Amino acid sequence: MSRVEQGARSPYITDNWEVSGEIYRNPGVFAKEMRNIFGRSWVYVAHETEIPAGGDYKTAHIGLQPVIVSRDSDDGGIHVLFNRCRHRGSAVCQEESGNSNFFRCAYHGWTYGNDGRLIGVPFDDGYGESFDKSKMGLAHVARVASYRGFIFASLDPEITDLEEYLGNGRRYLDFIADLGGEAGIDLSARAQKLVYRGNWKLQIENTIDPYHFSFTHQSWLDILKERTGKSSPWVKNVRTNSEWRGIDLTGGHAVHEFGALGAERDTHGIAIGELIPFNLNIFPSLAFVGAHLRLVVPRSVRETWVYLYPVFPADADEATRDRILRDHETFYGPSGAGSSDDIEVGFDRVTNGLEADGSPKDWTLMARGLNREELDEETGMRIGRSSDEVPQRAYLRKWSEMMEADA
Amino acid sequence: MSQTTTEIDRQSIADFLYDEAEMLDERRFLDWFALFTEDSHYWIPLAGTSDPQRHVSIIYDDHKLLAERTKRLSGHLAYAQIPQSRTSHLVGNIRITEADSDEITVTSRLVVTEFRRSERHVHSGLQEHRLQQVDGGFRIRLKRVDLIDNDGRLGNLSIIL
Repeated sequence: MSRVEQGARSPYITDNWEVSGEIYRNPGVFAKEMRNIFGRSWVYVAHETEIPAGGDYKTAHIGLQPVIVSRDSDDGGIHVLFNRCRHRGSAVCQEESGNSNFFRCAYHGWTYGNDGRLIGVPFDDGYGESFDKSKMGLAHVARVASYRGFIFASLDPEITDLEEYLGNGRRYLDFIADLGGEAGIDLSARAQKLVYRGNWKLQIENTIDPYHFSFTHQSWLDILKERTGKSSPWVKNVRTNSEWRGIDLTGGHAVHEFGALGAERDTHGIAIGELIPFNLNIFPSLAFVGAHLRLVVPRSVRETWVYLYPVFPADADEATRDRILRDHETFYGPSGAGSSDDIEVGFDRVTNGLEADGSPKDWTLMARGLNREELDEETGMRIGRSSDEVPQRAYLRKWSEMMEADA
Repeated sequence: MSQTTTEIDRQSIADFLYDEAEMLDERRFLDWFALFTEDSHYWIPLAGTSDPQRHVSIIYDDHKLLAERTKRLSGHLAYAQIPQSRTSHLVGNIRITEADSDEITVTSRLVVTEFRRSERHVHSGLQEHRLQQVDGGFRIRLKRVDLIDNDGRLGNLSIIL
């Protein structure tokens, strides 16, 4: 195969944006992704409102690395710690979330503060003079930073600062963070957790994909028609509304706007939460759609978890919370009309089809809209029509660049 | 417990739950929906501590949303059910926990075995019905299912439990 444009070479993607099926199937590719992508990116782990008080903690993953995200009991800072006892490797935190000033390993009783410090070793006469407790705390993940309440961590000590990394995605994160005005937003609604048997990138590619909506989700459009008495303007907008556009924000991030940010507009009218007027992908695994924050957690080349957190403006009244929750539940989640159809059509069936690795045409086509995308030379951003695959190419560009980077 | 509850009532309540299970296994979703009152809910919470006004659920359908759900499942465009699931609903451990002239609360243990795309799945947990007595039968005001894995990772859960 030939190289990707702009000098970013990849053995998996041609200049014509044919993408090898191997990237969804090959365990070697997955292992490299864990090092090159999840090992060298800012990965979202928590929202500040999930761990508001000193001692609060939750567990998370950075790639396959199990971590604890905790709020310091004394100074209120955030720690992201490997969930692994320094003695014989046991996971020390067994709960998904909670409040505790310490974590005690059940194996030999080693005890750590929630800042990771080793504070107790039973029978410590078994270690000589050289045993330095201060060096035996839970290991910290290299970098932690919070932007507008969204907490990210990175395994790469050399990574660029979070704000710079977020780049052109920042104004969309600002919009979301500002939804509750002074009160901010909160994730107190908890999260639905999905699992599917397929590659994590299938979810990324499905998150910003207006093209599929009227096919996969025709039954939902039928429901909307029954509710309102008329056909949804969705398809017409996807086909003809120039304000509905997919944008490569560079850095692997992408957005689909349903109208210019901040402008007066009708909602996109598909009753999926109607809180966030765009679909946003922050590379590699964070997204915002409808009224929820979406986190993609890769587990293996053919297993992926997806966590869906409805977002509340913190000062939302009961009627607003009810609308957000009911709109979210009817479309999203394991029993949601949208998510369940996406799991079947976008993940299961694609995974089954991609098993045909003997096909002489073992690639997917990510070329939609190549003939009509607009490149802003100054910023590097690309803008495409609503149904075009600009967002998919946005993340695959970054993916290629990072996969081919030397160690 | 109210003195009006008798052995006969217990059997007819059990029969009602068994009839409900058969309807679902026979995919008679619209008949099943007709069992629900206009002020009813079908609720699958995410956790035992869920408050549906504050926390997201797996399902929290009022009558209108449940109408849409059952109609969608009865059509041919719900891809999550193409191919269709084969289910077997087992209802047991039926206990009447409260009864007055207006409403009867029944808990039971539910085990739904599902076979789809060559895989078997088991969904099980505690089920609670709030039933209204009507014309010698019952209507459902609340069907709540607390799955044992409700806060775990779930896949395509498009069947009715």
